[in-house]
Amino acid sequence: MKKPNLWERYLTKEIGIEFKACLYFYALLFFYCIYRLCVGLSVAEILHMAEMILLTYIMGYIQVYLLWNFDESDHMGKKEIFGVFVCTVLYTAASYAGNWFDRNRYVTIGFAAYVIFLYVCVYFVYKCRRIIDDKILNYDLALFQTRSASEAHADRKDR
Amino acid sequence: MRYTIHQIKDGEDELILNYRQLNTEVEAALAFMEKNQKKLIGKSDGETVVFSPDEILYVEKVDDRTFAYTPDHIIQLDMSLYAVELMLDDEKYFRCSKSMIVNVSKVARLKSMASNRIDATLVNGEHILISRTYASQFRKLLKGERV
Repeated sequence: MKKPNLWERYLTKEIGIEFKACLYFYALLFFYCIYRLCVGLSVAEILHMAEMILLTYIMGYIQVYLLWNFDESDHMGKKEIFGVFVCTVLYTAASYAGNWFDRNRYVTIGFAAYVIFLYVCVYFVYKCRRIIDDKILNYDLALFQTRSASEAHADRKDR
Repeated sequence: MRYTIHQIKDGEDELILNYRQLNTEVEAALAFMEKNQKKLIGKSDGETVVFSPDEILYVEKVDDRTFAYTPDHIIQLDMSLYAVELMLDDEKYFRCSKSMIVNVSKVARLKSMASNRIDATLVNGEHILISRTYASQFRKLLKGERV
């Protein structure tokens, strides 16, 4: 069995971060577009979108390397909640500094709540995925053990 | 080949093979005897223990020493983890991390964990973790793909 080398391990992590960046970018963009439509604008600022994608990419690194990849964790403990808090503050501060919502305080607070909601949703999506994966794994394990036992039995019979 | 079977009440089970010349039948019988004689020797509580690989739950390397865990004993082996892996040479003994080999037939339950790791609950209730590096190989093994 060949162990993945350093490059392969880095690539696996990097793809995970890219995926995270895309996922959160689309979620932020959705909120941003709804806001724009609500204020009567049907166009999005390219600069804002560039800021969002760059920010979600940086946040992906922060989540994976500094905040225990909390949205994919097995349970929501203190450190995971701390991670949600830190990322929410950073996203909210960036939205305010970047003038994404015209520095409207109520919308900014709504955006913070949306980010928290987003993290909770992503956490449950990963949890559901693992529950389904558990079923597949245990089914495969039962098949493997039956197969091994019958092979051993056949082996004994042949001899 | 003629064979005789005796049931005994006392003593150890024993196989005796009488032959004049090696032929395919005798070789097959010898291979069977050797396979089933595959034993590991180690030390547990200062005593030498001879045991069958089938008893192993998992083998672990701790501080450059190798231990085999069975339901009743923790046995220190006088060989490296790599040597144990070579000796066992069966797909049911899976290298699940850098320092551990698990007997898959002694796994009672599996649980998918974050970061693509797998938590395996053994028949005695102990938990072992299959690291991300080895998890994909483990999934292939369960699906019957040779790893």
